Amino acid sequence: MKPEDTTTPEQPRPPARLPLWANPRIGLVVLLIALIALFTTLRPAFLNTQLTLVPMQADISVYAVVGLSQLAVLSLGHMNMAVGRMAAMSAFASGLLHDRLDAPLIVALAGGLAMGALLGALAGLIIARTGVNSFVVTLALDFALIGLVSLLYASFTDGVAFNGLPAGMSALRTDTFADYCAGDLCGPPIPLLAPIALVAVLVVGLLFRWSRTGREVLMAGSNAKAAELSGIPVRARVIQAHALSGLLAGLAGFLLSANNGAFSAGVGDGFLLPSFLAPVLGGTLLVGGAVSVLGTVLGTAITQVIYKGLNLLQFQVDELKLYIGLVLLAALSLDRLRHVLAERRGVPA
Amino acid sequence: MTSTVESTATRAATPAAPAPSRLRRTVRTSEFTLVALAVIGFVALTLTTDGNMLSAGTLAAFFRFLAVPMIIGLAQMVVLAIGQMNLSVGVLTGFCAMVAAWAMLEAGLPAPLAVLGAMLLGAAVGLGNGLLVVFTRINAFIVTLATMTIIDGLRYGVNGPGTYQDYSAGLEELGQASLLGLPVVFLIACAVAATVWFFFARTVPGRHLLASGGSPFAARLSGVSNDRSIVLAHALSGLLAGVAAVLTLAQSGSVNATIGDDLLLPSFAAPIIGGVALAGGVVSVLGTSLAAFIVRLVDVAQAQFAINRRWVDLIVGAVVLGVVLSGAIRTKLSRRSS
Repeated sequence: MKPEDTTTPEQPRPPARLPLWANPRIGLVVLLIALIALFTTLRPAFLNTQLTLVPMQADISVYAVVGLSQLAVLSLGHMNMAVGRMAAMSAFASGLLHDRLDAPLIVALAGGLAMGALLGALAGLIIARTGVNSFVVTLALDFALIGLVSLLYASFTDGVAFNGLPAGMSALRTDTFADYCAGDLCGPPIPLLAPIALVAVLVVGLLFRWSRTGREVLMAGSNAKAAELSGIPVRARVIQAHALSGLLAGLAGFLLSANNGAFSAGVGDGFLLPSFLAPVLGGTLLVGGAVSVLGTVLGTAITQVIYKGLNLLQFQVDELKLYIGLVLLAALSLDRLRHVLAERRGVPA
Repeated sequence: MTSTVESTATRAATPAAPAPSRLRRTVRTSEFTLVALAVIGFVALTLTTDGNMLSAGTLAAFFRFLAVPMIIGLAQMVVLAIGQMNLSVGVLTGFCAMVAAWAMLEAGLPAPLAVLGAMLLGAAVGLGNGLLVVFTRINAFIVTLATMTIIDGLRYGVNGPGTYQDYSAGLEELGQASLLGLPVVFLIACAVAATVWFFFARTVPGRHLLASGGSPFAARLSGVSNDRSIVLAHALSGLLAGVAAVLTLAQSGSVNATIGDDLLLPSFAAPIIGGVALAGGVVSVLGTSLAAFIVRLVDVAQAQFAINRRWVDLIVGAVVLGVVLSGAIRTKLSRRSS
């Protein structure tokens, strides 16, 4: 999926074929393959299904959804600094539904998603109504929710987590499709979390590519004034994009809770950085108007491969950060270089 | 005279009000609201704690732990002045503190040299941020997000999970010392704040910086180098983070790799409550300092009444949101009345 560009040229001309090197997604795929090859040669255990590949796929599933949550508002040129806490609130709602009402898995999930969407819509409403910078609003919301989450967990549970999970959730955590066999035929070693994330990726991708609402959100992000004048209800689109961000944050919170095996207050603590890393690595700009869903997934995959690979090479957790930061800087600078080269050759990139 | 410093470009853009009286103009500034809020909060806290607030120990502690949030708020404000952000202020503070402590303990450097080194290191990293922003033309948010991650790793690399303490008796003494009943670290912070105010209000580079923030295009046409402003703002932000690191070293007596983790969000809260626009071109040193004061009041109230620590975050979040909303409403009302 290419970054959707909403600015149409004055004269409709046949879209110029991009040369291969000018497509940022190809670069990401090459980088991903190179990294996997590198880590595999250094540590053959990198391709061990049980130890590395399955947990890594689960992590990619979680953080791809986190990235999409940020992408939903980056499409507007907005930010959501409260992704982590929206996820935590959603996980709390799911946990509470299960703990007090004994809700089954699907109801708990729905409750969590509703909570996330509600919080996102609240942020969107404030931003649309007052015109205050989204960064400020979501930052303040994050502050407020940090406090609220801990207070809620303190008053509704014994500590910082709910005991017990809805039936079926531990299967999400431990099982892969390989555990379900029809006779001799078993599924691939893909964790059960992956298809959920895949659905999210497809829905968001289709939304921004084909749906009217999605296109209008992108247009509002590209130029709010022009969008307003063209009859697009910009305020409604702002609220919807933020609600989508909250919903996806809620989904990410649910997936991480499934991965961790508990609905706890710590869910979402580490979401903020990856939420920006993945879309930005994938070529989504902060100015709005263009998103790359596939790029976000690739960005997530690259980050997680680096984490896992350096982990296997026994780097300390905090050393990892150093390299992730360097990779981000290098990737962005290369991207910039690609842009400059493309501009020089007159190729729209 | 309020201490909100605005670029001329921004000021020219706002329509001239029909000259209300000086008093009404003063009352309408956001600084006035903040002063009122700070005084009311302080008095309320004094009354409800039976004057415990005014005891020498409590008062000294109140101001001692106000110093770092103030400086960190200013470090963020300097970059907000050009309409950019610096996500690396918090970890940079921790990194500088760790390196200075390492220099004193492991490299055997005297304290004054280490202090100077910490500030230079901060400025150098900030300079790096600024140069990256200028040369790559990547959004400062992303650049500092990347450098934040890198510095986070470096900060941990200095001493792993270990703690440095007893690095310098002189520095720790300074951290505990008082002058005229006020802690010296607080007075240093005030002096730094005054310098920053002077920089923005009275010096040419400071005015250029605000011009770039207010309208880069107009600034360029007037012969101001926006690139220079960007580099300068980031370097200054780093320098202030270095100062915050020194103050942390002085007042806490021990540092480890978690220093600075809890500074990033407050660094934004103070300028935003203080009325600094994220769009750039406007700074308010007094507002930022007052906002840090108010946040500190909430902190102390929490300690005095033994409230759950988490209420503080909730209240600070609500205050930021409230200030932002009231600001938006005020603009709407004044637009209607004019």
